[in-house]
Amino acid sequence: MKALDHLPWYRRPGVTIFLFLAPALFFFALYVLAPIPVSFFYSLFKWDGIGQRSFIGLENWKELIGDPVFWKALKNNVTLVVISLATQLPMGIALALLLTSRFRWTKLLKTVYVLPYMMSAVAIGMLWRYIYEPTFGLLNMFLEAIGRYDWILDWLGDPKVVLYSVINAVNWQFIPFYMLLFMAALVGIPLELYEAAKIDGASPWKAFWTITLPLLWPTVTNAAVLSLVGSLKYFDLIHVLSGGGPNHASELMATYMYKRSFHHLRMGYGSTIAVALFTIGFALSMVFVRVTSRKQYEGGDRR
Amino acid sequence: MLKKATMYLLVISLLLGMSLGVFAQEINLTLWHIHTNVGAAQNTIQDAIRRFEADYPNVKIEEVQIINDEYKTKLMIAMGANDEPDIFMSWGGGPLETYINAGKVWDMTDALVKEGLYDNFLPVAMDLASVNGRVYGVPITNMVAALVFYRTDIFENLNLNIPTTYSELLEVMKVLNENNITPFALANANKWTGSMYFMYLVDRVGGPEAFYKAMMRTDGGSFASEAFVKAGEYLQELVRNNAFPRGFQSMDEDLAQSRNLLYTDRAAMYLMGSWAWGTIKAENEPLLEKLDFFVFPGIEGGLGDPSNLVGTPGDNYFSIAEKCEHKDYAVKFLGYLSDEKAADMLIANGHIPPFGENIDAKITDPMMKSLYQAVSGSDAVQLWYDQSLPPELAQVHLDTTQALFGLEMTPEEAAQTMEQAAKRYHGEN
Repeated sequence: MKALDHLPWYRRPGVTIFLFLAPALFFFALYVLAPIPVSFFYSLFKWDGIGQRSFIGLENWKELIGDPVFWKALKNNVTLVVISLATQLPMGIALALLLTSRFRWTKLLKTVYVLPYMMSAVAIGMLWRYIYEPTFGLLNMFLEAIGRYDWILDWLGDPKVVLYSVINAVNWQFIPFYMLLFMAALVGIPLELYEAAKIDGASPWKAFWTITLPLLWPTVTNAAVLSLVGSLKYFDLIHVLSGGGPNHASELMATYMYKRSFHHLRMGYGSTIAVALFTIGFALSMVFVRVTSRKQYEGGDRR
Repeated sequence: MLKKATMYLLVISLLLGMSLGVFAQEINLTLWHIHTNVGAAQNTIQDAIRRFEADYPNVKIEEVQIINDEYKTKLMIAMGANDEPDIFMSWGGGPLETYINAGKVWDMTDALVKEGLYDNFLPVAMDLASVNGRVYGVPITNMVAALVFYRTDIFENLNLNIPTTYSELLEVMKVLNENNITPFALANANKWTGSMYFMYLVDRVGGPEAFYKAMMRTDGGSFASEAFVKAGEYLQELVRNNAFPRGFQSMDEDLAQSRNLLYTDRAAMYLMGSWAWGTIKAENEPLLEKLDFFVFPGIEGGLGDPSNLVGTPGDNYFSIAEKCEHKDYAVKFLGYLSDEKAADMLIANGHIPPFGENIDAKITDPMMKSLYQAVSGSDAVQLWYDQSLPPELAQVHLDTTQALFGLEMTPEEAAQTMEQAAKRYHGEN
């Protein structure tokens, strides 16, 4: 820094960097950081969002702890996290492997597989709504056509089924994203490693476990964090597809927050749910990042 | 390449900005409503806009259509953000009162009198958007009652008679189910659709007083009273006897998933607001010949008169925002929405306007005549629960009713949940 001391303050690198970052930081602070304490502040009030606020202390928090729907929503969120991690990542890797290996249709398939990710959540929601339609829907019509009447389900209306129907659509939406992520990482693995393995007589299966997966691991952990955080705060497709219904069977924390705030006009309680959602999501992803980054370190050590 | 694109973008946005500046001389009024489907109300509103803009070329009305259930949320957010439209639609009752209490809605009583519009509207229809005799909204679209529409051809083929009592209804349902026809076309993802059954059952069991007392918290009225519990039991009996189509809890009324069953001969009856007549006319006019209606059957030993109706005397109410800068023009526009021409258009499209003179004589279609007689001849019209209750309680009613339909709550539990919410809301605990 000494060499730069002769520069006026506004020419120093730190200042320049800050100035370049300032516009982005300003909006980040305004729309991401500031609402967090503000939401907590609102959670102490009874407020319909339009009229007067009245202070009620921790009443909303007391209610939240005793609110069975909130716990159900949290449980649904956890289910979504687990299933997303267990299906989206392996499917993403499998498709990425398929499309990076050179066979005839890869170019076409690449485009086809990425399509769901390019669509807006609302369009996907409407699409799956028509697929799951109980009487005229594509799925039940198909099952009828092949004569499997016993497989016909009330996909979005049966409280035992709806969550899984919705998660299926969520998977359909996000698998292409992980596929793209893994494809980018796979391209970076040097081919010599595979050639060497081949000469050493390793089977493709063995090569996958000893070369591909370890070198892919940093991407896998990153993808897992993305999937975890995304699943915890997930909202849009559920909102369009099932609205969290019927009777909260597919409710997530985010859709529940939305309902309490904008349907029941209880902004205070909605804010309480929002802060709880943020706290849980933040804590879980911190723990997750800690655990996976340590693993990565150990892995590096062994090599 | 990128630089060039950025340049073009800059130039275009500059041009856009300038053109906006030119038009800024004009008066702009924003108008929000829910009529996304081509039909009576949409035609009438757009025609009124055209006529108004022709007479006042300096005023432009910016019409925004938002689908029904999204609309309620969007309006609420706009109100909270002080970004409400100049003219907006509501259903009167509890939700509108929330906005009135927050000082968001303009008291248009004097302006209506001045413009000579005040006496144009049916007084009973005005009540729903009035507080202490001051008018905050005018009824525009329709006099509505929930009625059971039914397929006359299916009833004839199966030798069925119109059920006048609950047990007759169960008989009719049995025959229909034996013939693989769903008794009622219901799409209950929207919740207010299923609420109609519940409201009728409560009325038939306990009369209109049951709800009135519970809502007003007078005379020991309670949402956990016998009428509500019994209604829940009847409702679940209907569900258990396959009154409703497969998957009805997830079906969406706004996507016509209920009416599709009616159109494809898969369902025979359809309990819906009488606006359905206009909707079906727009969607599937030939079917009207095979369609008639009856009033929801009574219950043996119940207190409610079987001619009582559930509905609203005005349906859509149009209000002017307090912060609207050109209230004079907004009121004038409401005049166009409720003049002779608008009334004629509504009638021609199957609606019964709650304004204008000699509506009775103007209606020539025999079916609409009987609709009109049913609506205007009833002793008691129960306003939709979700519009008469404050929004917070309305949602609890809708949620518990949907749970009743899903057999996920007992009638007793649902009634208690509703009563607890009411107690909490009114601070009775």
